[in-house]
Amino acid sequence: MAATSFHQAIGTLQYSGCFSISNLNQENGNSSFRLISKGFKLSIPLLRTGTYCSRKNSFSNIHASTSQSTVFDPVSSSLNGMTSDSKKKSSEAALILIRHGESMWNEKNLFTGCVDVPLTKKGVEEAIEAGKRISNIPIDMIYTSALIRAQMTAMLAMTEHRRKKVPIILHDEDEQARAWSQIFSEDTNKQCIPVITAWQLNERMYGELQGLNKQETAERFGKEKVHEWRRSYDIPPPNGESLEMCAQRAVAYFTENIELQLQRGKNVMIAAHGNSLRSIIMYLDKLSSQEVIRLEPSTGIPMLYILKEGQFIRRGSPVAPTEAGVYAYTKRLAQYRQRLDEMFQS
Amino acid sequence: MMAATSFHQAIGTIQYSGCFRNSNLNQVNWNYSFQLISSGFKLDIALLRTGTYCSGKRSFSNIQASTSQSTVFDPVSSPSNGTKSDSKKKPSEAALILIRHGESMWNEKNLFTGCVDVPLTKKGVEEAIEAGKRISNIPIDMIYTSALIRAQMTAMLAMTEHRRKKVPIILHDESEQARAWSQIFSEDTNKQCIPVITAWQLNERMYGELQGLNKQETAERFGKEKVHEWRRSYDIPPPNGESLEMCAQRAVAYFKEQIEPQLQCGKNVMIAAHGNSLRSIIMYLDKLTSQEVISLELSTGIPMLYILKEGQFIRRGSPVAPTEASVYAYTKRLAQYRQRLDEMLQS
Repeated sequence: MAATSFHQAIGTLQYSGCFSISNLNQENGNSSFRLISKGFKLSIPLLRTGTYCSRKNSFSNIHASTSQSTVFDPVSSSLNGMTSDSKKKSSEAALILIRHGESMWNEKNLFTGCVDVPLTKKGVEEAIEAGKRISNIPIDMIYTSALIRAQMTAMLAMTEHRRKKVPIILHDEDEQARAWSQIFSEDTNKQCIPVITAWQLNERMYGELQGLNKQETAERFGKEKVHEWRRSYDIPPPNGESLEMCAQRAVAYFTENIELQLQRGKNVMIAAHGNSLRSIIMYLDKLSSQEVIRLEPSTGIPMLYILKEGQFIRRGSPVAPTEAGVYAYTKRLAQYRQRLDEMFQS
Repeated sequence: MMAATSFHQAIGTIQYSGCFRNSNLNQVNWNYSFQLISSGFKLDIALLRTGTYCSGKRSFSNIQASTSQSTVFDPVSSPSNGTKSDSKKKPSEAALILIRHGESMWNEKNLFTGCVDVPLTKKGVEEAIEAGKRISNIPIDMIYTSALIRAQMTAMLAMTEHRRKKVPIILHDESEQARAWSQIFSEDTNKQCIPVITAWQLNERMYGELQGLNKQETAERFGKEKVHEWRRSYDIPPPNGESLEMCAQRAVAYFKEQIEPQLQCGKNVMIAAHGNSLRSIIMYLDKLTSQEVISLELSTGIPMLYILKEGQFIRRGSPVAPTEASVYAYTKRLAQYRQRLDEMLQS
């Protein structure tokens, strides 16, 4: 009975911040993977393991480089020290993955790949919804692909974020771009969340299928071939990438760039695409190629991982403001909630 | 003039339902969004009879795929390739829409932004969508934006409201791989694309050492008069930054070399950019002096429409929002008809 009352009562609590009782500093979420069939909702004992830091802890700031000039580089070189809040364990960091929502070619059922197609109204709404779910999770750095639908998803999500820090997209396509985007105030710089765009996080390149609709493709290449390209691990479409090839460049980028930041305790958000995120999840969860083929990350629903003591722990998906979640309550607190709930209902 | 007043209420519902058959009704009046121009057009019906522009029902020239052997289709054809012109559309006429992006996260904090790539706030997102509603019926064949996300988002958000079926596609040519990876392999799909070209030349004026500073910090560091001078003069740049003149030089050059030829081919173009780069372009379109351009303040999120016709840029003000009434050039007979219809609807 206690479990059921959770579902209704918690809705209002979870967005009001973290609890001061330490074993309540846990957030459970619904798993948004189809591969995992059971949710976490009713399994209370599991919730007592692992914690992650909520927004009340202050997190390490991006340190300005300690040079004489007044120019501040939002991403300090890896060798500069960072200020860690003593409460935050520096071995723990949050990783948020968001797959962008509906694009204009999704709507038309066209193979998109690396063609730079923007979001539809629905995709915009999905991004904003995703933002609401992560609005309390501190973010220190953002990585996106080079495609507008992922960048917009990240920036739209951040319009919902409650932190005061402002995402700033870094430019280094040439010397002028770098020079022109410089920031000259240290205070402002500390309030920046660097956003790094990387083609390595792009969607899988679909080669000669890009722009074709499903029917055209079946006519041109034959249904079985198309099915094979879409669902196999290592067979690429003509002049395109296989999932294996996509995974190779996405995971390499992750391990060389993003993992380092997480190891330093920086909380990172990645806004990307179905195949590049799958590839990263394959690495985080140590999935086999068979498992990864069946993995379908939900669009617009953020996935949370914690890097703790060198291990990536999947935390499912932060619940939406309107969904109830389950906290690890002691029996006494559960009874308290139940009484409170009954009070509200009367 | 009684006929004129009744326009304001009655027209609201008509204007988004398409163009009228009667040719001298193919005119739309606009509210001015410039502070420089103090008198609006609302009651000046006589002026409305001059000039027309093509409305949404006409078909416009498509982006022609390049006629090469390969199956790769390049969404942007060179201007010398023939364009399919609809016989009704005069090829010398093209629409130019200018949109200044809305509130950014540093606008909200009152920080000098310049070329720092700061995204939109929730309000800026809403402004972009509102702008999109205003232009949802104006055909667009090409889109130009700056290299900064707040202008790009403004353009893409506005296009989510667009009623045409064509899909904006951002062109990539930063590297050979980027070009190769973004290729489209279906001719039909390609015809349904609106190429989006990003150009740093359309960026906001680069504010040099003021970027990231708040207004107070700056006044303390440099002195109030200096700051005022940099912000409001035509040719005095902030330290390591651009003057408005320098910004205008690169923005107008880009416009003349890249965008104007497209308009001359009859392509309808939308530019989503920033206060200073758009001012610079307007200075060129309207042949303003440097004194006039300094006092020009563009509204954010409100699109401005120009028509290129017979080599001249004609300002058409701002397309009205769906909820605003506007004035059409009615003949007296039609005005009386509208008035009776209006009275019918109200009873």
